[in-house]
Amino acid sequence: MAPRRGISRRNFLQSSLALAGASALGAPDALGAPDLKLKKPIKVGCQCILSGPLGGYGEFMRKGATLAMEEINAAGGIGGSPIELNFRDEELKPDVGVKNARYFVQDWGADFLIGIDSSGVALAVGEIMPTLNRVLIVTHGATEKYNEDLVYKKHIRQCFRVCVPVYQDGIASALVAKDLPVKRWATISPDYEYGHTSWKMFRAYLKQNKPDVEFVGESFAKFGTVDFSSHISKVMALNPEGIFSTEWGGEAVTMIKQAKLFKVFEQTKAFMIGMGSAMDVLQGLGPDYPDGVWASGRYYFGYPDTPENKRFNDSFKKRWDTYPSYPSETSYTALNALKKAVEKARTLDTDKVIEALEGLELSRPAGPCVIRKEDHQAVYAVPWGQITHDKKYPMPTLTNLKIFKTEEYYRKPPFAPVEG
Amino acid sequence: MLFQGLVGLSEAMYLWLVAAGLSLIFGVLRVLNFAHGSLYMLGAYFAWVAFRITGSFWAALLIGPLLVAAVGWGMEYGFLRRVYRVEVAFQLLLTFAFVLIFDDLVKLAFGPVYQSPPTPAALSGAVRIGRSILPTYHLFILAVGAAVGLGLWIFLEKTGFGLIIRATAADREMARALGVRSSRLFTWVFVLGAWLAGLGGALSMPVRAISPGMGEFIIIEAFVVVVLGGLGSLRGAFVGALLIGLLHAYGLVFMPVFELALAYIAMAAVLIVRPWGLFGAREA
Repeated sequence: MAPRRGISRRNFLQSSLALAGASALGAPDALGAPDLKLKKPIKVGCQCILSGPLGGYGEFMRKGATLAMEEINAAGGIGGSPIELNFRDEELKPDVGVKNARYFVQDWGADFLIGIDSSGVALAVGEIMPTLNRVLIVTHGATEKYNEDLVYKKHIRQCFRVCVPVYQDGIASALVAKDLPVKRWATISPDYEYGHTSWKMFRAYLKQNKPDVEFVGESFAKFGTVDFSSHISKVMALNPEGIFSTEWGGEAVTMIKQAKLFKVFEQTKAFMIGMGSAMDVLQGLGPDYPDGVWASGRYYFGYPDTPENKRFNDSFKKRWDTYPSYPSETSYTALNALKKAVEKARTLDTDKVIEALEGLELSRPAGPCVIRKEDHQAVYAVPWGQITHDKKYPMPTLTNLKIFKTEEYYRKPPFAPVEG
Repeated sequence: MLFQGLVGLSEAMYLWLVAAGLSLIFGVLRVLNFAHGSLYMLGAYFAWVAFRITGSFWAALLIGPLLVAAVGWGMEYGFLRRVYRVEVAFQLLLTFAFVLIFDDLVKLAFGPVYQSPPTPAALSGAVRIGRSILPTYHLFILAVGAAVGLGLWIFLEKTGFGLIIRATAADREMARALGVRSSRLFTWVFVLGAWLAGLGGALSMPVRAISPGMGEFIIIEAFVVVVLGGLGSLRGAFVGALLIGLLHAYGLVFMPVFELALAYIAMAAVLIVRPWGLFGAREA
């Protein structure tokens, strides 16, 4: 193609863009945000855990949301209005979460709420969303009760979630475990909603797939456990062949280090940890992370091999000098989903945005995704894999990825009770 | 089953080091140092920095607690000595302020992310006890805890300085009348208490992920230990810490649903029967 023609083509594009802007038609345009004449700025309140041994999670969520905000604002914002973000520490306490949500909406004037790390906080905040009447997009809290009970059974329509629920920790894990040479399983998991519900699902779905498995012991550690030695020795005294764990954050780091000291990895055939591929755990353990541990997350930076994921990884690394963890991807996706929904609805009206979000298809870094209409749950696949140490990366990574079809492990309406 | 108790005792050693300092400071200075957990946290962070610079766990173990002792000196010399004569509530407020300040300083300096250097190779082995496996590091912790206990006992019972400390703890006015320079003594006792907490923190560094706020979890348990054992009694702190460790380890096995409450039930029971604690001095 002759250079002259190329130039004239670019001129044409520029002038048509200017025209579209000048006429303020606001038609959705791939080249720039339409001006929907919405309030400026659009305020989004994000709460996450920003203190204590799990505070690394909130930090990664903050980074993902901030990157999304910067990118969206640089490209003209949501329908011409820039996003303004505000962060608060949820402290993993339901009452604090509710207080934060009320503050965001009633005092600060939030148009949307995102975030939440704890399942307990997600349920508590979800319950008050009808009175606050704002869209809430949960980006980490993973209890199935959020989508199955709050949205599907109680019809709280304001609640959405863009991260995979405990189906990843409790059901996809069972699909991995059924092919492992392990019959005797035990768990060391957190003593709250998330830990109990994951272990219950894992047992129920593994038993379905492999009837001769046994569950020989469990030790549940309270939030804020700084030493897992007694839990490890209690469980190891029962001679398990495999350990299933849903510890996360700094507690996962401590548990794995101590399990290593107790030679758990030599004495068992498999070790599975649901949120073990979170970046803070990979970085926190570094060379201490034993090879072969089965780990997953709600997004893994190395999957899938798509341009969207590569672009997200590159800009995240450029902005923050670290690889993204899963709460980074989910909070990034939450803001991009809001942008897409608001520009589709052409208003900030909660009902209209809810309608736009229902069934919305997204091409997110974690892969193609659809937000189910029935339970407002984003459906996308996340791999399980085994820890390895690859010199190409400054932290441990996953190998031998197992990717299941979402139909295989996402529970579906009408959500029959989990047996077991 | 005995093995489970041994593991519980090894976990109790960190608690003992923190509680020892807390109890010592209360015994002599009559100040309840809320910030003692933060000194434990600083011990871990300072040791971590020292480890990054020197690459040696042993150097880190030496340097970390010494730096915490220096912080303790600053706390006592610069702040605490100004509030000995005011109401207890103000002392508590001051030490609580230190908790918040230290937490935020650590967050500013190191970020909210947890850190965890590798366990030293010499201590990452394990010994077989019957059918169970006990990590070398846990044996090491048990040894250090016992050694510190023995060292403190010798120091307090067999040295002149220890005698002065005991005398001041028993009767501050009388000691002063006999010519003890209590202000200087207070500083050194606080420094020693801070060093003990720092040592606990430094020891935890390679086996427990370190993070801002880690002190808040241990300070509550340390208070339970000190109240259980008797305020100001080192022997009480030692026995109290071991008791909490055992209750935790066996509680997990025999009554897991109830385990959290056991320490508090023990404390309440002791407070009802002996309000001054297991080894505390009965108030006149």
